[in-house]
Amino acid sequence: MILITGGAAQGKLKFVMEHFRPKETINGADCVLSIPKNAECVINYHELIKRLMHENADTAVFTKKFCTENQNAVIIMNEIGGGIIPIEKSEREWRENVGKCGCIIAEKADTVIRITCGIPAVIKGKLT
Amino acid sequence: MTTLVTGGSKCGKSGYAEKIFDHIYVRKLYVATMKPYGEEAYAAIERHRKMREGKGFETIEKYTDIHEIPLTDNCAVLLECMGNLCANEMFCGDTVIDPTEKIVKGVYDLSRIAGEMVIVTNQVGSDGVDYAEETAEYIRILGEINRRIAEFADNVIECVYGIPVLLKGVLPC
Repeated sequence: MILITGGAAQGKLKFVMEHFRPKETINGADCVLSIPKNAECVINYHELIKRLMHENADTAVFTKKFCTENQNAVIIMNEIGGGIIPIEKSEREWRENVGKCGCIIAEKADTVIRITCGIPAVIKGKLT
Repeated sequence: MTTLVTGGSKCGKSGYAEKIFDHIYVRKLYVATMKPYGEEAYAAIERHRKMREGKGFETIEKYTDIHEIPLTDNCAVLLECMGNLCANEMFCGDTVIDPTEKIVKGVYDLSRIAGEMVIVTNQVGSDGVDYAEETAEYIRILGEINRRIAEFADNVIECVYGIPVLLKGVLPC
């Protein structure tokens, strides 16, 4: 499993498309809310978390299961925690859940890459 | 050794900071700076307390004035977190005060007495939102405190979803 992270609009998707060339991507912003199996590439995982929260799902439980069933997936997930604590409670909870789930994925991932200004930095494992 | 651990919200900073202390066998002090006000603060404090359980930390609750903490030589201190300490110092009175010098000196002095000091802080300037003056000032001041501590710290580490990314010095673990 490979996690690609970084802030918004840093070139994560472009990097994934050019480097891993997935045939199919599942978009967390609008996919069905069931856990995919053996997915090749899941993008916007942070949006998927927000949508799961609207359904009152336990995002950490979902993510653990997701990791078990998608061990070869490339996952794109934004880093969203680098600002002021949001006033809105639901925004705070989303931020917390994204952090928690990001830590779960990063721990299970063989490789974690952080993209800044389009430049990939391998922060865990190796880029093959 | 003085180590500054930074990162965004829920990025695994605390877990990493605590791991540094796993192989330290001197007196371990945990300086908690978060005021226990409100349900969410209680939940966060409880979560952190559980994480530290059985790791041999003595907890000192100190919301401001960290220079008053009585330290003995050769102890290990984990201060968590600078974001709260900075806000507590800034907004403790009727007017907003700039606590940069007080906090930086406080951390520096403590770090010279303690054999090992780890400071957990926050990255709060990366959401690109235009905030009201007081919040903008908080972002600026916390940023400056982080930079000043990073200057004298041996190690500076940023956590990204639990992965430690080395910015200065060496990775302690």
